[in-house]
Amino acid sequence: MDKRIGVYICQCGSNISDWVDVEKVREVIREENGVVLARVTMFACADSAQKEIVADIQQEPLDAIVVASCSPKLHLYTFRSVAERGGLNPFNYVQVNIREQDSWAHSDQPTQATQKAIRLIRAGIAKVQQAEPLTPVMIPVDNTIAIHGAGVAGMRAALELADLGTTVYLIEKEHFVGGRVAQWGKMSVTNQTGEEIVTEMYRQVIQRPTIHLFTGARILSATGSIGKFTLKLKLIPRYLNPPCDAIGLKKAMEACPIVVDDEFNFNLTKRKAIFHNFKSEFPALPVIDMNACTRCGECLQFCTQIDLDQQEKIIDLQVGSILLTTGFNPYEPKPGEFGYREIPSVITLQQFKRLLELSKGEFRFGGKKINRVAFIYCVGSREVEGEHKYCARYCCTSAIHAALQLREEFHVPYIYHLTRGIRTYGKQEILYEQSSVAGDVYFQFVEDDPPNVEASGDHVKITIHDLLTANQEVSVTVDLLVLVTGMVPRENDELEQILKVPLGRDRFYNEVHPKLRPVETVLDGVFIAGCCQGPRNIHESVSSSLAAVSKIYSLLNKGEIQLEPTLAIVNPDTCEWCGKCVEGCPFDAIEKAETDKGFVARVIESNCKGCGMCTIYCPTEAIDIKGFTNQGIRSMIDAMAGD
Amino acid sequence: METPTPKILVFSTEKISDPALDLAGLLKLHYSPTVHTIVLPCSSAVRPGWILHAFEKGFAGVFIAADGSDCPYGESCIEKTSKIVEKAHVLMREKGIPTERLKMAAVCSVCAELFVNQMKLFAGELSGERINE
Amino acid sequence: MKEVDVLVIGGGIAGIESALNLANTGLQVLIVEKDLSIGGRMIHLSKVFPTLDCAACITTPKVSEAARHPNITILTNSRVMHVSQDENKLFLARVEQKPRYVISALCTGCQDCESACPVVVNDEYQYDLVGRKVAFIPFSIASPRIAAIDIDHCILCGACEKACGPGAIDFTQEPEQVMITAKSIIMATGFKLFDPNNIARYGGGRFKNVVTSMQMERQLVPTRPFNTVLRPGDGKMPDRIAYVLCAGSRDATVGNPICSQICCMYSIKQAQLILGALPMADVTVYFLHVRAFGKGFEEFYQQAKMMDVSFIKGKVGRIREQENGDLLIRYEDIASGHVKEASHDLVVLSVGILPTSGTEQIFEPEQPELDPFRFFR
Repeated sequence: MDKRIGVYICQCGSNISDWVDVEKVREVIREENGVVLARVTMFACADSAQKEIVADIQQEPLDAIVVASCSPKLHLYTFRSVAERGGLNPFNYVQVNIREQDSWAHSDQPTQATQKAIRLIRAGIAKVQQAEPLTPVMIPVDNTIAIHGAGVAGMRAALELADLGTTVYLIEKEHFVGGRVAQWGKMSVTNQTGEEIVTEMYRQVIQRPTIHLFTGARILSATGSIGKFTLKLKLIPRYLNPPCDAIGLKKAMEACPIVVDDEFNFNLTKRKAIFHNFKSEFPALPVIDMNACTRCGECLQFCTQIDLDQQEKIIDLQVGSILLTTGFNPYEPKPGEFGYREIPSVITLQQFKRLLELSKGEFRFGGKKINRVAFIYCVGSREVEGEHKYCARYCCTSAIHAALQLREEFHVPYIYHLTRGIRTYGKQEILYEQSSVAGDVYFQFVEDDPPNVEASGDHVKITIHDLLTANQEVSVTVDLLVLVTGMVPRENDELEQILKVPLGRDRFYNEVHPKLRPVETVLDGVFIAGCCQGPRNIHESVSSSLAAVSKIYSLLNKGEIQLEPTLAIVNPDTCEWCGKCVEGCPFDAIEKAETDKGFVARVIESNCKGCGMCTIYCPTEAIDIKGFTNQGIRSMIDAMAGD
Repeated sequence: METPTPKILVFSTEKISDPALDLAGLLKLHYSPTVHTIVLPCSSAVRPGWILHAFEKGFAGVFIAADGSDCPYGESCIEKTSKIVEKAHVLMREKGIPTERLKMAAVCSVCAELFVNQMKLFAGELSGERINE
Repeated sequence: MKEVDVLVIGGGIAGIESALNLANTGLQVLIVEKDLSIGGRMIHLSKVFPTLDCAACITTPKVSEAARHPNITILTNSRVMHVSQDENKLFLARVEQKPRYVISALCTGCQDCESACPVVVNDEYQYDLVGRKVAFIPFSIASPRIAAIDIDHCILCGACEKACGPGAIDFTQEPEQVMITAKSIIMATGFKLFDPNNIARYGGGRFKNVVTSMQMERQLVPTRPFNTVLRPGDGKMPDRIAYVLCAGSRDATVGNPICSQICCMYSIKQAQLILGALPMADVTVYFLHVRAFGKGFEEFYQQAKMMDVSFIKGKVGRIREQENGDLLIRYEDIASGHVKEASHDLVVLSVGILPTSGTEQIFEPEQPELDPFRFFR
C-alpha cells in the first residue's frame, strides 16, 4: 500500500525561492502519487515549522515525510527527530537537497533549477515510498579486555581501565613484566630508572583485584568479533610453587650448573637456567628456563618448592575488546656493521645503557677504564636503501642523555657524537644544548659516506668526512664505540596471523589513520598502543595507551553498542550461497548459514559497516543495503529521468 | 538563453564526494542543472545494473564521484570501484552504448572545483558525441 | 547556571576530539571557543603530513559531529574569564559570550548580509592575504555557519539589516555572562604562532615578499584566496621560493630555546604542494637539522628530495629586499664552509609555535603549573 506522504518545500528565506519557483514545484508535487499534502515554508528548520510538521504527521495522519531544503548534512538529524516526535520511524523521512545542489548551483538557470527541484523531490518521494522503518542494531559488549604486553603501555592501560570498572586480562609473553623499559636504566627528563618505573607500576597492578596477570602466556587463537572475542591462551609454568623460601631459592640458583647468556643484559652477562632479571623483578619469583634446563635436579636439593613436573595450561578468555601493547625490538646490527661483533669494544646503545646500570663508581668495559667514547647514530634507522627507512625518533635524545650521564656520573672526559643530524625535537632540544655546552663533540656524516671503523690495538679508530667542517677528514680513537641502534618491530608473526592485525610499510602495526584514529585498527574492537605501532619514547607510548583507554572505555562502558541500521541484508529466498559476497566484504561481515532450504549468506551485523561493497558481488542481487536498496535506487533513477 | 544539455546521473558518496558537491553550490560554482545526484555510502556500491538502467531511462551520461583513497571503508574501494566500471563497460558494449558515456573520478570532500570542471568537460564530451551519432 | 561534567576550553581539534570522546561515554560537555567558529587551526590548513590528507576534509566531519552531539554544548565567540573551585572541588567558571549582532536561531547562513555590507577589512582567516566584509561568515566551512558583525569596523549603515530576509541582524545584543559548574576542565587552548617581526634581520612584516608559513598554507588550501600561489608584493607567480626553518625556534635570543616539532615537516609538505601547483618552481629549504621523526616522516622527507626540493644545511644570517621585490638571502653554507648569497622571489619563514600566554591566569586562587617554556606542565 502506498504511504501517505507529506512534502515540505523550504524557501530558505529566499535562498531557494530566488531561483526555484517553489509555488510551481508545490503545484506539481501535490499531484504525485501518495502525496497527501505539499506545503511551502519560509524556513523548514525553524521551530514553528518543525511544530507544524509534527502536527501534520499526527492530524493527517502521514506515514512519511519529505523535506526539500538544504543539504542533509546540515539538517538530516533535525528532521529525523521531527519525524520521531510526530510518531514516525526516523527512516520514513527523506531530505532532498534543493539548495546546495540546486538553487545555488544553478542560480544562472532558474527555470531549469525549478525543473530539477521537481525531479529531485520526485526521487525523494520514490525513495521514501520504498523506505522500510529501521531501528538501530544493538550489540551486547562484555566489559572485559585482553591487553597483550605488560610493558609500561600495557600496564598503564590496565590500571586505568581497571579503575574505570573493566575486568582486565593482562597477558605477558615473558615471565616478568615491564617490557623494554625494565631494561632501560636512567631516563630523561626525570632521571628515574626503568626499574623504578616498572616496580611502581607493578605494585599498583597487583593491588587491583580486577587485573588478572598471565605471564609466560601466548595467544593461540582468537575468534569472535567486537563485543565478544574468545581467546585461547597457552600458559608456560614457572616450575616453582610460591611461596618460596628466599634463602633456599638463592642457594638453588647458585647450585644450578647451567650458564647461558643473559638476554636481559643484552648478553653482556651470564645467568643460570633458574633466574630472575633484577632484584625487585616482578613477579617476585624466579623462573626456570626450560629451554636451557637439563632437569639435572641440583636445585631441588635446596628448594622444595621447585616442581619440574608443572605442565603447560590452555585456557579460554572471553573479552569485549583487545588492546595490543607488544612493544618493539632494538635493532640488532649485522655482524661487521661498524665493527659490531668483530671489534670487542663496539656495542649497541641498549648494551651501553645496561652497562651504565651495572657500573658503580668507575666506568669500565672489558676490564679497562673507559676515557673516550664515541657514538655512531642512525644505525638501523633512516636507511635509504635498507628495510628500516624510518627514523626511530627516541635514539638521539636517549644517546645524548646517556652521554650526559657518562660525563656527570662517571666523569668520562672525551665524548664524540657522529650523527646524521640531531633530532632532539620539542623540549628535548635542551638536552642537546646541555651536551654541547658540556663539551661533547659533534660530527656529521651522510648515509652515502658512513664513518669507517677499524680496530687499533685495544682501541677503535673511527674516520669520518665531517659535514660540519666542510667535509674534512677527521679521525678519533676511542676506548668504546656505541652504535645508536633504533627500533624494529617485534617478531610477532604468530599473533599477526591469529588476529590479522594490519601492518604498515614499516612493518609495525598500523592504525586506521595516524591523525584521526591513531589507536584503532581496521579490526573493530582491536586497539594498539605503544611501540608496537612505531618508534616512540615512554611519554609518547603512555599517551597513546591513555588514548586507547578512552576509546576502549567509551566502547565498553555502556554494555552494548549501537550500530546505524543501514547495514547489509540478505534475501534468503533469492540467495543461492556462492560465497562471492564474502569476497567483496572487507570486514569479514558475512558468513555461511544453514536454513531449511539449504545454505545462505548471513550478515554479521556487528562487523557490517553498511558500505555496500558486497552488493556488487552477488549474482542473484540477493543482498542489499537497508536504506539504499536495489529497488529504491532504481525508482529514484526513474523519477530523475522524467521531465 | 538556457540551452538544454545532456542529462547526467552522478553517484556521489555520503562522506567524501557529496560534501564537495555541496561546497560547489555554496561557492555558487555553476554546472548544468541536468546533473542529478544519488548519494550512496560508498562508490564501490554502485551496481552496474543501475548504470544500465539510467541509460535505458534516458540519461546521456553517468558519472561516479568516487571516494578514491579517502574512502572510509578502506583501500579496496579504489580497486572495487574500477571493477564496477569495467563490468559496466562490458554490459554497455553488449547494448551498443559507447563506453565514454560512463566516467569516474575521485572527488575529495572539498574538491568542488574539480567536480564542476569534470561536469563541464563531461557535458561537452557527451554533446559532441551526440552530434557524431 | 549551567551544570556540565566537563568544561573544554578551546574548540580546536584537541578540544573537539576530547569533547566527542567524553560525550560518547555519556558525559555532558561544554566547549568554550573564543573564535566565531570551532575547528581551531587545523580547519584552516591545506593538507597534513605525511599522509597528505586534506585538513579541512578530515576536520569538518569531527566539527559537525561535535556540533550536533546531544551531549555537547558549544559556546563560540566566548571566553572563560574566571575559574574557581568550591569546597567540593567543583569548578565554577564564568564565561563571557560576546555578541555576534546576529540572532543565531534566525540566521540561515545565506550571506546576503555579506553581499550588502559596504565595508572591507583584512581577512584574518586568510591571514590578511585578502579582505573580507564586516558583516560576514568567517569562512566557508565555519561551524556554526552563522554570520557575525565585526562591530569594531562596522559603520552602522544598516545595509545588512535591510538585506537580511529573516531579520536576524540585531545591533542591540550585549555581552552575556554564563555561569558554569564542571567536575573537570580540559585546557585545549592551542598555541600562538611566533611573530616574525621579532627577528628583524629576516624582514618579516617589512618585506612584502617575506611571508609566514601560515600565509603560504592559506595559498595552498582548496578554498585559497588567489586560486594559485602568488607573491603578495606584486602578484607575480614565484619561481624561486625559499624556506627558512627554525624562524623563532631553537633560538634563545628570541626567547624560545626549544624545537617547535612541526615546522620541518609542514615546510617539507608545503614544498611538495608548491611543486604540485607550480611544477617549474625551484624550492630551497635552509635548515640546520631536519626533524623528520614521526611515523612516515623520514620517508616523506626523502620523497621531497626526490621531487627535487633542495635542502641546504646552513644558517641564514640576514635577508635583504631588492628593488624588484626579490630577496637576497645571506647564509653560511655548511657543506662548503663559505658564506654565500642567493636570490629568491618569495621567502617563507617557517615560524615556530609558542604557548598561548596568560591562559593560566583565569584560575584563582591556585593556578596550573607551567614549565620553563610557559607551556602547561
